[in-house]
Amino acid sequence: MARQPTLWVRARDLAVPILASLALVAATTVGLLILDYFFALRHVTLVYLVPVIVAATRLGIVPAVAAAIAGVGATAFFFYPPIYSFLVDDPQHLIELPLFVFVAIVTGHLATNLRRQAEIARRRENEVQELYAFSRRLAAAHTAGDICNAIREHLASIIGRRMFLFETAPGGETRGSLPDREPVPDTVRREIEALAAGRRRSPEQSFIAEGHDWLIRPLSGKRGTFAILAVDVGQHAGGAADVIKQRVDAVLRDATATLEQLDLDQAIGEARVRSETEALRDALIGSVSHQLRTPLASILGTATVISQAPANSSDPRLTSLANILRTEVDRLNGDVQDLLDAALISSEGIRLDAEWVEPADIINAAVERRQRLLARHRVVLQVADDLPFVYADPILLEQALGQVIDNAAKYSQPDSTVTLAARADGDTVVLSVADEGIGLVGDERTRLWERFFRGDRHASNVTGSGLGLWIAKSFVTANAGDIDAASEGADRGTVVSIRLRVTEPATPDLEVAHDG
Amino acid sequence: MGDGTILVIDDEPHVRQFLRAAFEFEGFTVQEAADANEGMRSATLKPPDLVILDLGLPDRDGASIVERLRTWSNVPIIVLTVRTREREKVRLLELGADDYVVKPFGIAELVARARVALRPRSPKSPGDPVIKAGPLEINLVNRSATLGGRRIALGPKEYLVLHVLAQQAGRVVTRQHLMKQVWGGSHADDTHYLRIVVRNLRKKIEADPTRPRILLTELGVGYRLAQ
Repeated sequence: MARQPTLWVRARDLAVPILASLALVAATTVGLLILDYFFALRHVTLVYLVPVIVAATRLGIVPAVAAAIAGVGATAFFFYPPIYSFLVDDPQHLIELPLFVFVAIVTGHLATNLRRQAEIARRRENEVQELYAFSRRLAAAHTAGDICNAIREHLASIIGRRMFLFETAPGGETRGSLPDREPVPDTVRREIEALAAGRRRSPEQSFIAEGHDWLIRPLSGKRGTFAILAVDVGQHAGGAADVIKQRVDAVLRDATATLEQLDLDQAIGEARVRSETEALRDALIGSVSHQLRTPLASILGTATVISQAPANSSDPRLTSLANILRTEVDRLNGDVQDLLDAALISSEGIRLDAEWVEPADIINAAVERRQRLLARHRVVLQVADDLPFVYADPILLEQALGQVIDNAAKYSQPDSTVTLAARADGDTVVLSVADEGIGLVGDERTRLWERFFRGDRHASNVTGSGLGLWIAKSFVTANAGDIDAASEGADRGTVVSIRLRVTEPATPDLEVAHDG
Repeated sequence: MGDGTILVIDDEPHVRQFLRAAFEFEGFTVQEAADANEGMRSATLKPPDLVILDLGLPDRDGASIVERLRTWSNVPIIVLTVRTREREKVRLLELGADDYVVKPFGIAELVARARVALRPRSPKSPGDPVIKAGPLEINLVNRSATLGGRRIALGPKEYLVLHVLAQQAGRVVTRQHLMKQVWGGSHADDTHYLRIVVRNLRKKIEADPTRPRILLTELGVGYRLAQ
């Protein structure tokens, strides 16, 4: 009883492609008959190679053979005299037909092989891709849990079945189960614990939980078992279940070999070190930030006090010296801030603090904070009325825009114009900074955004870290925006545009619209 | 002009030194403390008129100092902070700090903030309930506003926002505080409405609403009525 469905499935799996290949032959025959009516064809057998090859590449060797035989039959019946009979009179035709069968079968065989090779190559490619993604995940894993999760997802993607992975401690007890959001059936949990404690009589034996067949397998690295895997084989019985189990075991054998090569115990150890290293780096960044900025704050504060002291403020020489100090400290502070931003972006990514933002506020804040830098430029603001609000992190946007303004001021002559504009464009708001400076040439337009990129033309006489625009791009991208630069060429100015998407606010009905 | 005592709590001796010089030039008396404990002791023994508090103290975080001070004192507190800590700024303001200045800063900026913070929070004499911000005058008693002497028509929410800002004229007011005062506590996060009201207000009171000079934005924190 139990095997009947499998047999039926097998018969169906075989019959459908054969019927399909016969249909191809029939279609070819109809086509040939129509042509024959007009042109009186002579050698039609060759045409039947078409359905044979199609069947071989798409459906396999058995349907291809069926197509070959049907092709011979159709030729004899419809085209070779006596017509409408399987008899063949012409001895030349008698030689031709077996030759066709031979050629058809050889061609079909070759085509099938080709198909299989292509499939194997594709599967290999997929496996390599998956393995590559997997090893990348391992390299980035912070904890043993991350690693086990990566393994579980890797195995689940190649086996394609529901499974749970239990991390095991050296003492033999199990820790958590993955995926952690899915409840584990009690029977499965019990069996896992029994295996972990060495209480299972036949460790490889499958068991039934909630009507499903389950396989249970330990995963071992160089230093013993580090996890146990439970795979849901499903409700198949008998042969089908055996086939699945064999496949699972084959995949696990491969995977275990890979895992041994990757030396997971070491990977787990390294993950711990890595998370400690990152904590250390964060602490270092914080401390360096404090170390560098504290003296800057003292220098700037002291300089401004000296310049404003009653005894000095009337002496223009002293106030202008204090001004130089202030400018230099601002610049240094900006560079330190760039380094910190860059280190933060690469180490922990960008934390968004999004809210509804008035676009004009971003431009005003960015200009306000760079008043000294822009003091010698003519600044034109063109902010459209009633721009939509954008949902974004205002601080990051202000910093991004500020970096662009820094560049505009640095790479253009004093007394030239810097135009800041905000306008709506379709469902976006565009903030732009246009200068009349050195412009962009060649690949600068794209390379501009690279980390540490500095244009060759002016690297020697303009200071900078090469981080500013990279930071700007990172911040804009984090806000789901785009940034790009346009220029008509050398010394013809640059326009940098930051494009932000506008979304409708989902807010409750507060009293405001009918307000005044 | 500036007679009063200022307590500077900062672990950097050079910062304390230039702050002392600057405020003494302005006629203030300056007390110094190098860490939170000393600062707290100093504030208890000889209550100052203003506290300038650096957030990067080695022995205690800024928020807990503000919180501690606020349990028994209403002394104005200005915190010295670094950029990119908007959440921290908002939190400190909500805990009771009066204002913040971002390091590194020029001394003029800090002195101006200190003068605003030293003024009483609401007008002293009830006889003069008028707050001025440039050409704008807000009368807190008969709840009206004039611009250049001419009365302007404000919606109830618009007036309320202006009213709350005027009570704290010159000081930064967090969005959350404004939301609570104008719409009530349950809407403290729906700041989209606040932005609409602010935009409408600016159209009525600013010469160029896209370049406000009276109702200023403190990005990521809140608003400030210029003084």
